[in-house]
Amino acid sequence: MPFVKAQKTNAYFKRFQVKFKRRREGKTDYRARNRLINQDKNKYNTPKYRLVARFTNKDIVAQIVHASISGDIVLAAAYAHELPRYGLEVGLTNYAAAYCVGLLLARRTLKQLEMDDEYQGNVEATGEDFTVEPGETRRPFRALLDVGLVKTTTGNRVFGVLKGALDGGIDIPHSEKRFAGFNKDSKQLDPEVHRKYIYGGHVAAYMRTLMEDEPEKYQSHFSEFIKRGFEPDNIEGMYKKVHAAIRANPEAKKSEKAPPKEHKRYNLKKLSYEERKAKLIDRLKALNSVAGADDSDEED
Amino acid sequence: MPAGHGVRARTRDSFSRPFRKKGYIPLSTYLRTYKIGDHVDVKVNGAVHKGMPHKFYHGRTGRVWNVTKRAIGVEVNKQVGNRIIRKRIHVRVEHVQPSRCTEEFKLRKLKNDQLKAEAKAKGEIISTKRQPEGPKPGFMVEGATLETVTPIPYDVVNDLKGGY
Repeated sequence: MPFVKAQKTNAYFKRFQVKFKRRREGKTDYRARNRLINQDKNKYNTPKYRLVARFTNKDIVAQIVHASISGDIVLAAAYAHELPRYGLEVGLTNYAAAYCVGLLLARRTLKQLEMDDEYQGNVEATGEDFTVEPGETRRPFRALLDVGLVKTTTGNRVFGVLKGALDGGIDIPHSEKRFAGFNKDSKQLDPEVHRKYIYGGHVAAYMRTLMEDEPEKYQSHFSEFIKRGFEPDNIEGMYKKVHAAIRANPEAKKSEKAPPKEHKRYNLKKLSYEERKAKLIDRLKALNSVAGADDSDEED
Repeated sequence: MPAGHGVRARTRDSFSRPFRKKGYIPLSTYLRTYKIGDHVDVKVNGAVHKGMPHKFYHGRTGRVWNVTKRAIGVEVNKQVGNRIIRKRIHVRVEHVQPSRCTEEFKLRKLKNDQLKAEAKAKGEIISTKRQPEGPKPGFMVEGATLETVTPIPYDVVNDLKGGY
């Protein structure tokens, strides 16, 4: 083998400074996190809540979180895989489902904080920009949107979650610039277009075009939709029912889980300071007793 | 060239970040809360340029007298000439750490209160004062054998073996 100069010497590794763990995993944007978490010092221990919206390939996660030194504390969470409970079984990661998840999270937190009667939010989703008005007794629940590492383009699904939470009654500072239906040229939000997206109108339109042009692809692509009887025309009605069901009962269902299995320990457990000292004393005693025996043997 | 006495003169090492700890600072520094009357250590974090104290205060400990949006007012003692002045500076939270100087005192206070309460319940009188360490107690030396050492008579031949 020809002589190859080692690129990554021992010296390289010794001097290498790793990035934070979650940065190495590519999961946390610390610049954004710093700005979201930092609370004014003269507000002391007042928590700063953030609405975390994350999308996986098949699920949507929305949480209300506040930060603490020992770890973030989740106040309430809503997932897209809970939506079948409210009548929505398909299309769990589209814009309309995101709106449902945001709505569910908002109603859930307000119910938890006993503010749900005072802050109904926008009951009829019109797509217009809605901001929560301060109520009589308590100020509205305020959270900041945390999108994570997503590119915040106009019409992104995280803003669907945002809109759902706003209509649910949570106060989130925002601008309508990134909602679906915002026209860059006229610099205005078209509420009709946004409303279409909230009720899955864009999905219905695609279904219609596929039905006309490629019926086989329509059958294969939307097979689950067809199985449950979702036609392009009654999608809107279906989402309306889901919104109503969410508002009726947003409580989280506690899932029954068996206690986790005890696993066999493959590596030695780390001893505590007292245990290590005790071990040392035992070893010394054993040594002394053996040494004592040796000494007496020698002298004899 | 003249010496140069700028604000950050002679801070090349003290303001530099430690080995392999450069870049982003952990967010727990921002999550700590400080109340007026707490004791804090001032330790400059070279990664954050705003709200740095002057290099004199690096390593000083003081009391918090003011809390603002992103910074804390700390009261630090400084010797000026023949007197000590209580200086009030404002420092951003990145350059401040909670001090453990009063930790032992606070723990002792709690423990003493507990001991006093217990003693009161039992009806005894105890003193919670700290006592300095006294002289060590006496002890008998165990297993000592006596070995008498006497000088050996001078042997010229042996000692001059090395050469002379």
